[in-house]
Amino acid sequence: MLYAMSNVLIMAQEETEGGGNIGLVLPDSYELVAGIIAFGIVFFFVYRWAFPAINRSLENRQQAISGQLKEAEAAKLEAQSLLDDYRAQLATAKGEANRIVEEARTQGDAVRADLVSKSEAEAGQIVAKARADATNEKARALQEARQEVADLSIDLAEKVVGESLDREAQHGLIERYLADLERMA
Amino acid sequence: MFEQVILASECDVANEVICAPADVKELFELPTVFHIGELAISRTIILIFLAAFIVVALLYFGLRKGSVIPSKFQAVIESLVQFVRKDVAEDIIGPEGVKYAPYLTAMFLFLLVGNLFEITPLINFPITSRMAIPAFLAIVTYVIFVFVGFRKNGVHYLTDIIWPKAVPLALRWLVGIIELFSTFLLRPLTLAVRLFANLVAGHLMLTLLLGSGAIFIWNFADAGAKSLVGVAWFAFGIGIFLFEIVVAVLQAYIFTLLSAVYIQSSVHPEH
Repeated sequence: MLYAMSNVLIMAQEETEGGGNIGLVLPDSYELVAGIIAFGIVFFFVYRWAFPAINRSLENRQQAISGQLKEAEAAKLEAQSLLDDYRAQLATAKGEANRIVEEARTQGDAVRADLVSKSEAEAGQIVAKARADATNEKARALQEARQEVADLSIDLAEKVVGESLDREAQHGLIERYLADLERMA
Repeated sequence: MFEQVILASECDVANEVICAPADVKELFELPTVFHIGELAISRTIILIFLAAFIVVALLYFGLRKGSVIPSKFQAVIESLVQFVRKDVAEDIIGPEGVKYAPYLTAMFLFLLVGNLFEITPLINFPITSRMAIPAFLAIVTYVIFVFVGFRKNGVHYLTDIIWPKAVPLALRWLVGIIELFSTFLLRPLTLAVRLFANLVAGHLMLTLLLGSGAIFIWNFADAGAKSLVGVAWFAFGIGIFLFEIVVAVLQAYIFTLLSAVYIQSSVHPEH
């Protein structure tokens, strides 16, 4: 059919070629056939190979991009959760630190109060002991002085009387006398 | 190349103002390079197949790897294909445009390479300045949009064109005739001729200006003061050369775009 068509065209062209340059406006039959074949090759190649190829690569690219976007989204979520974790940890750590400081302070206060009260008690004890010692010493000294006074008095009295006296009875007498003196003073 | 040779052999630099061949056909009907049996294979036919080969090679080497991260070359080829597919086929025809995308893409790339042959050094001949390819592609587009029009809308496709209900009754018959004439006769004709004529004009300008310029400058012994004219022709030719780059790309785009628009008008005739 193509052959018949080109024959017709060749005849048409031969008719017109005589009449000036009108032949330039009409398609040359060989070139027409060549053009049909050449365009057919191009069309076939575009239709069967180029479009599937470009579709494939566009799909791959789409998948790659959406995959990367998903990955980025996942990474973002992970980073966010990590950040939240860190923030929570930081908050806990701060609370802990505050608690420790507070505890240390209260402990320090307690230790100080303890120390103060202990030392106060100790001081009180020392003073009380000193007082008691002093009182005892005084009492002992007084007792000794009494004994001495009594002995001296008895000795003196013996010398005066010239014989030994009943020491026990004399001591009682002296004691009573001294007690009377103390009461009067 | 061949045209310049023809120009040079025929031009009388002493008397001509611009060097042109005796017959303008010599600029467009290229010589036979070899024969296959009875078939005379002209340079044009070789160039037609070269254009197809270049398109296939560009697509093959551009899309072969299909890397997720494309190389520069892959990105360029992908964006060319995607441009026709998204910006022309789908944006103009709509979701159904996907079906026509391979045709439009093949058309755009083939015409682009064929047009750019006009300004490709050592080739210097746009295969689209011959009527064969514009006519063939215009006819294919015509068959597609008429076929789609009738298949989508049945006989309403024709009646809606002849009797457009959106137009006031008084003018309806007139608009109907104009639309009928325009859709079924002018569309394929203008589509083919627009491309063909643009490339013919471009090729004519470039061969005459650059050819004349070169001949006047090289033969300045014979041409004398005309060598200066040659310089002017040549400079003008360079300007046109740059302009023709735009024309080549634009005409390939316009042809593809209008094909898409025509198909769209059959898919959704109410617009």
